[in-house]
Amino acid sequence: METKLLSEHYHKPEFRGLEGYKKNGGYEVLAKALKMQPSAIIDEVKASGLRGRGGAGFPTGMKWSFLPKNDEPRYLLCNADEGEPGTFKDRVMMEKAPHQLIEGMIISGFAINSKKSYIYVRGEYEYSYRVLRTAIDEAYKAGYLGKNILGSGFDHDMDVYSGAGAYICGEETGMISSLEGLKGQPKLKPPFPAVQGYLRKPTIVNNVETLAAVKYIIRDGAAAYRKYGTEKSAGTKLFSVSGNVVKPGTYEVPLALPLKDLIFNVCGGLKPGRKLKAVIPGGSSAPILNAEESMRATMDYENLAQLGSMLGSGAVIVIDDSNCMVDMLNVIMHFYAHESCGQCTPCREGTGWLSKIVHDISHGKGKPSDIDLVKKISEQMMGKTICALSDAAAMPAISFVTKFRSEFEYFVREGKSQVTGSSAHA
Amino acid sequence: MPNVKITINGKEVEVAQGSTIIQAYKASGVDICHYCWHPGLSVAGVCRLCMVQVEGMPKLQIACNTEVKDGMVVNNTSPVVKDTVRWGLDFHLINHPLDCPICDQAGECGLQDQYMQFGQYDPEMAEPKVKKAKVVDLGPTVVLDSERCILCSRCVRFTDEVSKTNELGIFNRGDRSEIGTVQGKPLDNNYSLNTVDICPVGALTSKDFRFRQRVWYLKEADSICPGCSTGCNVKVHYNEEGVWRVKPRLNPEVNGHWMCDVGRNTYKYVNLKFRLLSGKIGRRDQWNEVDVPDAARSAGLKLRDTVKASGADSVAVVITGQYSNEEYKDLLKFVADDLKIKNIFHWVNNPEKMKEFDGLLFRGDRNPNTKGLEAALAPYPPGKWENLQAGLSGRKFKAVVVFGPEDPAVFPDLKEKVTMLSQTENLFWFGAPLNPHVDQSGTETWQIPLKTYIEKSGSFTNFQGKVQPFKAGTTIVPQALTISEAVELLAGRDLNWALRPQPKGGPKVNYAINQRGAL
Repeated sequence: METKLLSEHYHKPEFRGLEGYKKNGGYEVLAKALKMQPSAIIDEVKASGLRGRGGAGFPTGMKWSFLPKNDEPRYLLCNADEGEPGTFKDRVMMEKAPHQLIEGMIISGFAINSKKSYIYVRGEYEYSYRVLRTAIDEAYKAGYLGKNILGSGFDHDMDVYSGAGAYICGEETGMISSLEGLKGQPKLKPPFPAVQGYLRKPTIVNNVETLAAVKYIIRDGAAAYRKYGTEKSAGTKLFSVSGNVVKPGTYEVPLALPLKDLIFNVCGGLKPGRKLKAVIPGGSSAPILNAEESMRATMDYENLAQLGSMLGSGAVIVIDDSNCMVDMLNVIMHFYAHESCGQCTPCREGTGWLSKIVHDISHGKGKPSDIDLVKKISEQMMGKTICALSDAAAMPAISFVTKFRSEFEYFVREGKSQVTGSSAHA
Repeated sequence: MPNVKITINGKEVEVAQGSTIIQAYKASGVDICHYCWHPGLSVAGVCRLCMVQVEGMPKLQIACNTEVKDGMVVNNTSPVVKDTVRWGLDFHLINHPLDCPICDQAGECGLQDQYMQFGQYDPEMAEPKVKKAKVVDLGPTVVLDSERCILCSRCVRFTDEVSKTNELGIFNRGDRSEIGTVQGKPLDNNYSLNTVDICPVGALTSKDFRFRQRVWYLKEADSICPGCSTGCNVKVHYNEEGVWRVKPRLNPEVNGHWMCDVGRNTYKYVNLKFRLLSGKIGRRDQWNEVDVPDAARSAGLKLRDTVKASGADSVAVVITGQYSNEEYKDLLKFVADDLKIKNIFHWVNNPEKMKEFDGLLFRGDRNPNTKGLEAALAPYPPGKWENLQAGLSGRKFKAVVVFGPEDPAVFPDLKEKVTMLSQTENLFWFGAPLNPHVDQSGTETWQIPLKTYIEKSGSFTNFQGKVQPFKAGTTIVPQALTISEAVELLAGRDLNWALRPQPKGGPKVNYAINQRGAL
């Protein structure tokens, strides 16, 4: 079940420091990579089938190949603004193995010929920021960063930047705006970041886990990486499991593991006497799965897409029968209304409107027409905006009121929750 | 740029390569809903209303940020697009106060117009609206109502990209977003009122104009701003009571979409309160009001007598750069060709500032037609200003004819010049405004009212040498003359009064016209 490829040494406290990291094979892959052709590294990453681990699941090698083929300066940005509710795997990776990320980034930087990279860390992750800062200093002193790394002639500088706590800065162009010192708002595309990104230069933005995985693809080769998972979902993935399981936490498993196994074997199952009601498989923006769907889901990009949901960032929120779905949606809608950047009208107004309606329902003040209205508003928010936050708010709304409609109807009719017997107002 | 062919709503059109779909819609005159896009600003792509269906693309695209490709087939009439636009408008309106009955923008509001054209749905919003700041004093000229604001960001982009003064920004997030000024720095620049023009709703209103008039009662006339030598193309908005405001009119070669705040004030001095309403003959404390034609005829007699008795050299003519090319031509034909007067002088109001320029539109030469006057004077070389001074103090000039300022405020030397020019036996002063300095004249003086730029047709030649025609809009002082008409009377000829527009019932006195809008 658990397959510790990236997380092999996470249990060792020494792995956080440079010495301990080197003792466990640290920076050996960098030495190997620097002797390769950059294009060979890109080919290897393409062959591995690695897909972005931040949420969208875009093939990493293909993203890299969108960069212009010239000597224009380019940037590599590591997206460590882990804000999707339910997700906490990047934090574990940064705090337990900062050098693993740094090594993966130098290799990736070498592959795409970038001489400067930034790690954009979520504002609330102050400790992760400090761990990374220390690790980068260590790497500079040891000659893994700076001029002429390991005598290869390749220069690379790295810096870490702390966000200020906005979910939207996890969207890659929102992050670029924030890094540029502007208000954290996504930018209109085209142009895409690979053509015109940070400071209007070609820019690649990759998630923490994606960049760390590059190291293992180069170490073992694409074929070895492909031994895990499926054709379209290759490799291992770190899942942040939270909610009503006995052992919540971060677990690395091969992709395409049945969700049932993740919950009942890896995470120790539900609490005694509880029944599985639903699972959010990929962070709060992923459409919810009911119990029946959860039992046949496998944790990979294609199967979850077939079920109308998505793997997202790999944040699995397990929900048992003690939870009121109306209350849960109220919390989720409040989150998106709070985090919408406010640029695009459908998102700015739609998230606020949805939040108010669901709030009313969950406070016993809903109207029968509200349930269909939630659906109609959400449908009009899908695919209509600059970034995906609008969709991220609409998808849970639609899936909650569709799959758990009777609970919403009960709340509207009776003015109280079918599950808890009370309303948030009482 | 080569052209490409695309199909818009079933109609094939040709547009320049590299243009966007919305530009193609605009160029071919097909209606498309939009707020944030403005042809003079960068693309923001945030209102999400210019959605179109492009064949071969799975999702709807925003027309403002999608480049045309040869053979592209686009429509905004399919049910899915129409539904999207309807909902897009609803998203704009759910937190909008809908206070049209008391809103200054009513009648020229993008929300009203586009709701009627693309909206017309049954609203389902039943939740309390977001409360935001109202009557926000942004600076000396503009007031903000954040609840009406639809956050299109046009005003922010204007201050970033055009005025480059960067006063405005959008603060907070989500549906709490509001326009504001950066660190309390007021919106205070000479182009601030353009933000009111481009605001598609009643969020930004002009302190000067708000609550003055319902816009649907105003008529508009195309004109040229007389505020400086740039010659911005403008629209003048007026009714029977007078002129109420000036707004820019697109001319890519001169002013683009914009004009300056100084130019917007040029509507004030044309109104009754500031105008000389009839002819006046006499001197300090001894004035007789005389009908304008009689005053002009009497001035003509005196002028021609002086030329006859003391010779053409005993008369000086002083001209400012405030009049039209056509008037200069008629005037010079009379004084130089017919009366053989050689002492013609060009009164430059602020010589030290004539070459100044703010880099955008506003020029130090505060006359609309300096170039035109220079060209008209080319065959009649104007005299040196020192010679005028010497001639006056030496009592050489028995009569002086002055075509003074239309806007006295741009003549800082007015009092001094009036004192100087009244060192003659007979002063003939032609001008539109009331002139307290001329009222103090100690010599025999004729004051004859002229028309302002909004009351006559003609042309100005701007700093580039571009001749820009303008047309009469309204009549404010019925008796006032153009210089051409004045020349006819001065020459002793008769005027065809029937040709002149007479206002119905005469204008009413407008007490409000120069009181600044209060908050």
